[in-house]
Amino acid sequence: MKIGVFIPELLRHLFKKPATVDYPLQKLEVPRDFRGSPYLRPELCIVCRACERDCPAEAIEITATNEAEKRFRMVIHNDRCIHCAQCVDSCPTEAMLMDTRFEISDYDRHNLKMEWEYVRAVVKPKAEPKTS
Amino acid sequence: MRFQIPIGPQHPALKEPISLRMTVEGEIIRDADIRLGYNHRGLEKLAEQKTWIQNIYLTERICGICSHSHTTCYVQGVEKLMELEPPKRGLYIRTLVAELERIHSHLLWLGVAGHEAGFDSFFMYTWRDREIVMDILEIICGNRVHYGINTIGGVRRDLDEQQVKHILDSLAILRQRSEYYQHLGTNEPSFVARLAGVGYLSREDAIALCAVGPTLRASGVPMDVRKDDPYAVYDEVPFEVCTADTCDVLGRTVVRIKELFQCYNIIEYLLKNLPSGPVAVRAPRRAKPNEVVSRYEAPRGENIHYIKSNGTDKPERLKVRAPTLGNYAATIKMLKNGFIADVPLIFAAIDPCICCAERAVSLVDARSGQEKIISMNSLKTLSLKVSAGKARKREAEWPL
Repeated sequence: MKIGVFIPELLRHLFKKPATVDYPLQKLEVPRDFRGSPYLRPELCIVCRACERDCPAEAIEITATNEAEKRFRMVIHNDRCIHCAQCVDSCPTEAMLMDTRFEISDYDRHNLKMEWEYVRAVVKPKAEPKTS
Repeated sequence: MRFQIPIGPQHPALKEPISLRMTVEGEIIRDADIRLGYNHRGLEKLAEQKTWIQNIYLTERICGICSHSHTTCYVQGVEKLMELEPPKRGLYIRTLVAELERIHSHLLWLGVAGHEAGFDSFFMYTWRDREIVMDILEIICGNRVHYGINTIGGVRRDLDEQQVKHILDSLAILRQRSEYYQHLGTNEPSFVARLAGVGYLSREDAIALCAVGPTLRASGVPMDVRKDDPYAVYDEVPFEVCTADTCDVLGRTVVRIKELFQCYNIIEYLLKNLPSGPVAVRAPRRAKPNEVVSRYEAPRGENIHYIKSNGTDKPERLKVRAPTLGNYAATIKMLKNGFIADVPLIFAAIDPCICCAERAVSLVDARSGQEKIISMNSLKTLSLKVSAGKARKREAEWPL
């Protein structure tokens, strides 16, 4: 009968550094492609509504505030956002991007709303919308 | 003297709501019954209202642990419907994430098995090492749990040299740790004594009750969708189907540890033979009317998606058969003639994911105990029949 196969491992752990970090004081770096919250670069948005159509959580809302001046308002409901970055993939002009913030909690869900009001940009979309 | 003991739907031994009713004689379980339906989310109906693209993220949320399994299963079906051929590199990355997910799921299960067997140090150590594979997944996909790597026609993100190197370095550590767990799992006398002989499921029963995944393979049946019906690039990758013939929880542990090593081999092969080229092709927004069944070997067993399209940009029907549902019948067999104290261990050994498996509505007649599965339409007819001709409750108030 074998006794204590686990004991060497247990003893080794007495002298090891902790696997965790002291979170609020020390933060881990997020990877390059981290999916934080989506944001808009209004100067590139051509209002094709691809992001609004593809968003699985229906978190993006685009409304026209002034049709004649081609002014639009985009609201991103971050309280509904599931951080999948599909809007970034769907966008033909790279106007949607993801940031790297992860501490986005709030006491009130309405504070998480982000909005932009802008004039529709005249940017030529790439021949083939980004799929990768 | 026989007693009936209900366990659940809310119980400290269970992580998710499910009801077990056991008829016991002293300490020995003579009969067991599993009741589902406490975690039904109406997911299949919701899928009918979302587009093909949106449904990728919906199917991802069927299960947190095997999220890639469900999306791959769904996406493969949709690709068949749309007659798309994803590029080789995309399929390699898809398979890579699938195998990484298998590692993370098996390490998680090993920890749970240790915890249920009263070996909590094992639980802590496996879960600490699981962080390594979670970090790899985060680097590849940008998130730890819902990877969101699949898209219709390929994958969404590419790998670069640095990431490949990081994965290979981390795998070396994981392999070393897994070797230690294998040594531990087979040599620690208390652990082995707790698991051996618990939850016996013979080879014949496993086949007759349609068990899937490691539960089936631990009963000595070498069945694996990756070998039997290869999808993605499994027909090119060399690997073995791991089996054990002890037919108990120990066997299921051994199968999962053996599968870990197969995963490391597969990942190394994939990274060394990664072809160059694009990772995705452009997908159309609509699919021609057709129907398709897609199979996938999830870490827990065979996952089946049935998808029907009707020419629009939304599916007409999506049916999900999660692996846990396939294992319930076998679980009842395993519980019979066992001890009450073994229930959490036996139940944990199928790696249950209750919220994955909640699909149908069943009606139980309280007087006769008869049970029948009822379809949505007949339920609707029934509700109309009952409420027909009754006065509308205009002054009805919310009770609270």
